[in-house]
Amino acid sequence: MRADTPDLDGGIGLAGPRELGDLRRFSHEAMNTVFEVYAANADAHYAAQAAQAAFALVDRLEGELSRFRPNSDISRINHLTPGESARVGEAALECLLIARHLYDLTDGAFDVAIGTGLPSLEIDADTFLIRATGDGVLVDLGGIGKGYAVDLMAELLEDWGLDRAFVHAGFSSALALESPADCDGWPLTLSDPAERSRVLARLSMRQTALSASGVRKGDHILDPRTGTPVRGRQAAWVALPRPGAATPAGHGLRLAPAAVADALTTAFMVLRVEESAALCARSPGLEAWLLPDGASPGTAELIHFSGPAIAPAIDARETRDSGP
Amino acid sequence: MADEDDKRKGEIPTAPGAPPKLGRRDLLMGLSTVPALGLFGYAWSRQQQYRRGRAAAAAATPAAAADLQEINVALLGAGAQGQVLMEAMLRIPGVRFRAVCDIWTEYNLRRVVNTLKRFKQEPNGYADYREMLDKEKELDAVIVATPDFWHAQHTSAALKAGKHVYCEKEMSNTLEGARSMVLAQRETGKLLQIGHQRRSNPRYLHCYHKLLGEAKLLGRIVTVNGQWNRAVAPDLGAPDRYAIPEATLKQYGFKDMHQFRNWRWYKGLGGGPIVDLGSHQIDIYNWFLGAPPSGVMASGGLLYHDPKTHEWHDTVMVVYDYDTPAGPAKAYYQTQTTNGSQGYYESFMGDQGTLIISESELNYAGQLYRDPNAPAWDDWIQKRYVSAPKEQEAKEQSESGAVADVRESVAPDQHTVPVSLRDPYHQPHLQNFFDAIRGKAALNCPAEIGYESAVSVLKVNDAIDAKCRLPFKPEDFKV
Amino acid sequence: MEATTFERAPMIAITALRVLVGWHFLYEGLTKLTAPSWTAAGYLKQAKGPLAESFRWLTTRPDLLANADLITMWGLTIVGVCLILGLFTRLASLAGIGFILLFYLAAPPFIGYFYAIPSEGSYLIINKNLVELSALVVILLTRSGRFAGIDRIVHVVIRRRRPQLAGA
Repeated sequence: MRADTPDLDGGIGLAGPRELGDLRRFSHEAMNTVFEVYAANADAHYAAQAAQAAFALVDRLEGELSRFRPNSDISRINHLTPGESARVGEAALECLLIARHLYDLTDGAFDVAIGTGLPSLEIDADTFLIRATGDGVLVDLGGIGKGYAVDLMAELLEDWGLDRAFVHAGFSSALALESPADCDGWPLTLSDPAERSRVLARLSMRQTALSASGVRKGDHILDPRTGTPVRGRQAAWVALPRPGAATPAGHGLRLAPAAVADALTTAFMVLRVEESAALCARSPGLEAWLLPDGASPGTAELIHFSGPAIAPAIDARETRDSGP
Repeated sequence: MADEDDKRKGEIPTAPGAPPKLGRRDLLMGLSTVPALGLFGYAWSRQQQYRRGRAAAAAATPAAAADLQEINVALLGAGAQGQVLMEAMLRIPGVRFRAVCDIWTEYNLRRVVNTLKRFKQEPNGYADYREMLDKEKELDAVIVATPDFWHAQHTSAALKAGKHVYCEKEMSNTLEGARSMVLAQRETGKLLQIGHQRRSNPRYLHCYHKLLGEAKLLGRIVTVNGQWNRAVAPDLGAPDRYAIPEATLKQYGFKDMHQFRNWRWYKGLGGGPIVDLGSHQIDIYNWFLGAPPSGVMASGGLLYHDPKTHEWHDTVMVVYDYDTPAGPAKAYYQTQTTNGSQGYYESFMGDQGTLIISESELNYAGQLYRDPNAPAWDDWIQKRYVSAPKEQEAKEQSESGAVADVRESVAPDQHTVPVSLRDPYHQPHLQNFFDAIRGKAALNCPAEIGYESAVSVLKVNDAIDAKCRLPFKPEDFKV
Repeated sequence: MEATTFERAPMIAITALRVLVGWHFLYEGLTKLTAPSWTAAGYLKQAKGPLAESFRWLTTRPDLLANADLITMWGLTIVGVCLILGLFTRLASLAGIGFILLFYLAAPPFIGYFYAIPSEGSYLIINKNLVELSALVVILLTRSGRFAGIDRIVHVVIRRRRPQLAGA
């Protein structure tokens, strides 16, 4: 078991002390990245079966949410003509509600339709019907979908009794459940995407979702509000605490901190520093790190924000009330 | 100076040096091309009208749902496949879930009932199917998604209780079971659809009716190839805290929790991968070739997995003989659970072309290749039965600017099937079932057809044991 | 005023040519105008040939790109209408030649170039763009609008109003 696991997409790393001897690690390719489950203090065979069930869940979600699957819910939405409706499943509805809530919250900086007109989609949370009032809306749940999958995987692992676990999707969306025995939290590192060996922060997290957004060489992130490439930001990280225990069954909309964190990191890549700070100040429990462009690679300074402490306010339940 | 033409036509004579008058000819010639603009406008508005009509038709479908006769269904079996069917049904308008039945009350039953509640359905939960059939008075149909060895009993009970039944494939793990289902259907006169969902898949239907039936694009199909390869996976487990009491498991025919979760691998419960996976594709073989097989030869074994937890073969290779209306044919099929390369597909090879198809919208979604000696497919391309060929361009394109020949073909031109499915895979087949209940359609896979496939598939395990070719008699496929 | 002598049959043929080319331009322009958010970005990004750099650069400037899109959409439409009606034929022909030249240079059909958006009819150095371009040159030089088009009416009206232009 390697002590330091390398970064994949984002600038998050899992730095394990060598004492995490019985850490079980399982990988699975889906959604164009690698999902991993780390289970601590667990029986190897049982953990393997649990991980397999979690990965089957991810595959099912990909089938419903990926715009690259011609018969997914999202593809169906992307092919609606004005006036036409499509009935979607739970996953698609919850992701769209979260997306819509964050679109409003960030004034369009986070836009799953990337400027093609997300507000023109009418979302009816009671009947699970999505109605297109305009033409040409193209929804891409790329970032938010992985976070959502991570949230659901975490719930499944808890169902299986694997409370001490860490789940991530390509390290750009991660969720720490309970920490391994004898540890206060999962040891995570944030590093400079331009210089991976440069560790910017060391965190110890439990029951928290952590998401990363970074610009790799040659990539451009477009600001959905203007259509122009974003400048001046190299990376953004967002941490959101996981609320209490899993919601009792039948309680209404699921809380999805990893999905929300995923969306927020994308938004923070686009928003100006002041706007990001303002958003953090309004959101209890939210913690964010921004890495602006430095003078030369490896010299940028990390900016850290945290919102007021205590209960999280950004959760999917709110999005249901504030639906269009 | 005036135009020569004008002079000839004897236009208004003007004195030399005097300003010319705007004569009739000038006006006529001047405006002569305006009608072209009019014609353009007319053609354009016609096209816009057509487009708007198409859009209106698409938007009109939700209105049709309002006066749809609602069908009350019960889901019998809320496991993995039951949940897949539930997801598909949730997207079909006019379906009302009245009941869900599963012996895993603490886990699957509860989760499915809660999911349905979020969709504003209020189903009752049951552990025992007989109790459900007794108590549920307003039930039109039962969806059976329990393990194969329960299919016969569940289906017959539901039919005899006066309900239409959609039963997952394989019809049963035994011939007697399958036969009893056909007899029960005949006796009760209710509808019984077997869950070979490709029979309602728009792409498969297009291939069967248009490409094979009408255009006969492949010519005479002589050989068929098919496979379903799956990578190694651990046995299915279950969350410790939701274990089912041993007494309950035994009551329903399971030795322990492990067998409950992995019934497909056990003799007497399932038939192994050849039945789980091969069922679908061998059914397509029979369908597209237009005949059931005349003989089967097979070899299989448990080459890799643990014999303590796997009783059936994990690797099977089959050769079928067919006497099709067009002539004899042979079909190869394999299934394995140690390597997933190239996944699943069926390949029909005729003397004039090849069709490679699978249920997936992503891989092998319908590729056609024309034999160079076959007549051109231009007419069929015009009619949009098949797409225009995508010419294969040369792979080598060096960065330095060295130029390769533009049109070097490295492979025969590939056509695709221009039909796609925008709904979950099982939706069209369930929709067909509900349409048949409403009297608007015929079943695409009624019990008799399901029985033919069951006979074809179940014989494979016999052939593996017999280690020789087993013939089929035509009577074998009839009940 | 110069002598305008027209031979009947060739001029009818050239007028027909003018209307057809105009129809094509009008169609291209209108489909882009009525399509939701059409942009030339796709074609520009794949530009090849001598001006490829400039075309690609244009896609990085969304403000300029928006103007270019507008000019293209409206330009094609107006050129089309003018050609069909035979109004300001020479100007329209010139503008049309300009457009086609740009399109041609963005995707010259030389051997070894491949395009994701397939272009119709490439025949080594020549392609249909070039053929249409030369059609416009013929229309330009033969002033077909004067023969059968609104230009004819305009021409006569002008000659009426300015007698001093008449003669010679």
